[in-house]
Amino acid sequence: MSVTAQVPVEKLTVKKSIANSSVLRVLRFSLKRLLTLFVTVVIGIYLTILIANMGGFVDEIIKGQIRDTVTQRVANNPNALQMEPELRKKLIEDQIALEEKRRGLNTPIAVRNFRYLSNALQLDLGRAINLTSDSGSKQVRLILLERLPATLLLMGTSQLFLFFSSIFIALSLSRKYGSFWDKLVIALSPTSAVPPWFYGIFLILIFSAALKILPFGGMVDSPPPPNTFDYSMSVLKHLTLPCLALILSSFFLSVYNYRTFFLIYSSEDYVDMAKAKGLPARDIERTYILRPTLPTIITNFSLLIITLWTGALFTETVFLWPGLGRTLFQAIGQYDTPIIVGSSIIFAYMLAMTVFLLDFVYALVDPRVKIGG
Amino acid sequence: MNTVPEKLLHIENLVLHFKTAGGSVQAVDGVDFDLDSNRAVVILGESGCGKTSLSKALLRLLPRNVDKYSGKVFLQGTDVMTLDNEEYRQNVRWVGMSLVPQAAMNSLNPVLKVGDQVAEPAMVHLGLSKAEAYVLVYKMFQHVGVPADFVERYPFELSGGMRQRVALAMALVTSPSLIVLDEPTSALDLLTQANIMNVLKRIKHELGTSFILITHDIATSSELADEVAIMYAGQIVETGDARDFFPAPLHPYSQMLMASVPRLRTDSDPMFITGQPPSLMNPPKGCRFASRCPYRFEKCSEEPPVFQKGNRKVKCWLHE
Repeated sequence: MSVTAQVPVEKLTVKKSIANSSVLRVLRFSLKRLLTLFVTVVIGIYLTILIANMGGFVDEIIKGQIRDTVTQRVANNPNALQMEPELRKKLIEDQIALEEKRRGLNTPIAVRNFRYLSNALQLDLGRAINLTSDSGSKQVRLILLERLPATLLLMGTSQLFLFFSSIFIALSLSRKYGSFWDKLVIALSPTSAVPPWFYGIFLILIFSAALKILPFGGMVDSPPPPNTFDYSMSVLKHLTLPCLALILSSFFLSVYNYRTFFLIYSSEDYVDMAKAKGLPARDIERTYILRPTLPTIITNFSLLIITLWTGALFTETVFLWPGLGRTLFQAIGQYDTPIIVGSSIIFAYMLAMTVFLLDFVYALVDPRVKIGG
Repeated sequence: MNTVPEKLLHIENLVLHFKTAGGSVQAVDGVDFDLDSNRAVVILGESGCGKTSLSKALLRLLPRNVDKYSGKVFLQGTDVMTLDNEEYRQNVRWVGMSLVPQAAMNSLNPVLKVGDQVAEPAMVHLGLSKAEAYVLVYKMFQHVGVPADFVERYPFELSGGMRQRVALAMALVTSPSLIVLDEPTSALDLLTQANIMNVLKRIKHELGTSFILITHDIATSSELADEVAIMYAGQIVETGDARDFFPAPLHPYSQMLMASVPRLRTDSDPMFITGQPPSLMNPPKGCRFASRCPYRFEKCSEEPPVFQKGNRKVKCWLHE
C-alpha cells in the first residue's frame, strides 16, 4: 500500500522539477535574447542617426539656412536699416546664435547624437525640421501616424495578395512540374528585375493617359465624395494602379521561389512514403508538404507584415500616394533627420519583437525545436 | 491466364526505364516472377542492378523522369497496371501492398507523432475513426516490439532500430497480404538487424503475410527467404526455392555472388567479381553478364531465354 502510494508522488515531483527547470530555461533564454536584440537595435539606430545627420554635415546645412533667414529678416527690418553697419552685423550674429541655441545646435554633435539616441529609444521622436502633417503639426509621431493608414492599405492589399496567391499557385505548380504553366512562370520570373515604380509609370501611361479610365495618382478624388460608399469606390479606383504595379513587379519571381521551395520539400522521402500509403493528395499537401515547411512560411509572412511599415518609397512617390514611403522619400530629400530616425526606430523595434516571437512560434509548430535547449 | 488467380502476385515483363541526359536508363527490363501467399522472396543483387527501381515499379512510386513503364502486375488476380491513379491509390496502396522503405530515418514525417503516422493508413483505407485506428496501432506496436507509449513520440526521439520497427508497424496496420521491404536493415547494426529479422519471421508466421525482401545482405536475408530471385543489370537471372538455391546456385553470377560472402574462421578469402556491372543506359546485347563471366562461350552473344530446371528457373545458356 505504502509502496504504491509512494510511486505517483515521486513521479509528480520529478515532473514538477522538470516543469520548473523548463520555465527557468525559457526565462533565461528570453532574457538573453531580449538583451542581445536590444543591443542590436541600439547599434542600428545609432548608425541611422549618424547617417541621417551625414556625420554632422546636416548641421552645416541647417546653420546655413539659419544664417540666410536671419540675414533676410534683418535686411527687411526698417529699423535695422538705420543702424550702423557694425551694430547691424552684431545684431545678425546675436540672432543667429540665439536661433542656433534654440535649435540646440550649440551643443557638439556627438553629445546631441547620444541624447537623440536615448530619446529615440524611448519612442520620444521629437519634431520634424521641415515636414508637417496635413493638420499642420510638426510632431514626428503625428506625421507618421497620419501617413500610416494609407501605407497599410496599399502595402497590405498588394503584399497579402502576393503572399497568399504565390503560395497557392506555387503549390499547384509544384504538383505539375514541367507543365506549360510551370515553364511559363519560370520564363516570366525575370520580369521581377524591373522595379515596381517603373511598371507604375507604364501603367499610368496606359490606363490614365491613353485609356483615361483610372486616375493618375493620389488616394481619393478631390474634393472627396461625401458618402462612405462613393468614398471607398474612389479610394479603390486610386488603389488599383499602384497595387497592380507592386504585384506585377514581384509576382512571377515569388511564385517561382515558392514553387522551387515546395518542389524540394515534396521530394522528401516521407512525402513519397505518404504517397505509397495511399493518402489523398490533399492530405499529403497539407500534412506532408505544408506542415513541415510551416516555420519558413511563418517567417516569410511575419517579415512581410513588418516590411509593410516601410512602405514603398518610389511607387508611392510615382503615384503621389500619401503614405509613409513617400514621406520618407521627402524626408531624405529635405534632410529631415527626425522623420528618418523615427521611422527607422519603429521598424527596428518591430523587427526585434518579431524575431523574438518567432523563436517561440518555431517551438510551437516544430516539435524538434526547443527553446534554449 | 486461368492459372493466374492462384498466385498472390504474378509479374510479367515489368519494364521501368528512366529518361536522363545521356539516354534511357533501363533500370528494370523485363522482370517476371510469381509469389504465393505466406511466402517470402528475397531479391538479391549488387548495388545499381535495379532492385530499388523494381520496388518502385511494383508500388508505382515513379520519379518525374519515367521514360517507359509497362508490363503486367497481377495482384490477387487483378492486373493493377490497368488501374488509373485514383483506383490504384484506393485499392492497391496499403490495401494490397505496403512498403517498408530503405531509409526509415527519412521516411517518417518529422513533425507528426509516430502514432498518428501509423494510424493514418488505417483511417484512410479502412474508414476507421482515430480511436479505432489507435487500437490497431497499439496491436501492431506490440507485434513489432515498440513500447505502447511511443505513439506520443516524434520520429527524431526514436533510435534507428525503433524507427524501422515503426515503419514496419505502419506497413502492417492495414493487414495487406504483401509487404515490400526495401533494404529494411541496411542502416542498422547486426544485433538490431537480427532482431528485425526475427520480428519479420514471427509476423509471417502469425499473420500469414507475404514479403518481397530487397537486399544485398545475403547472410541476413537467408534467414527469412523461402524463395530467392537474383537480379543483374535490370533483369532477374535466377529464381528458385531457397533450400535449393543457397547450397547450389545455378547462374554463374549467383555462384560468384554467393562466393563473395565472407565466412568466419576459414582461410579462404572472399571472392569478388572482376569488372563492373554494365551500364544500364546501353546494356550489351546477349547475356548481360557475359563480359564478366568465366564460362563465357559463343552462344552468350545471344540473349539467353529462361530455362526451367526442376522448379528452378535460370537465364543462362549453360543450362540449356
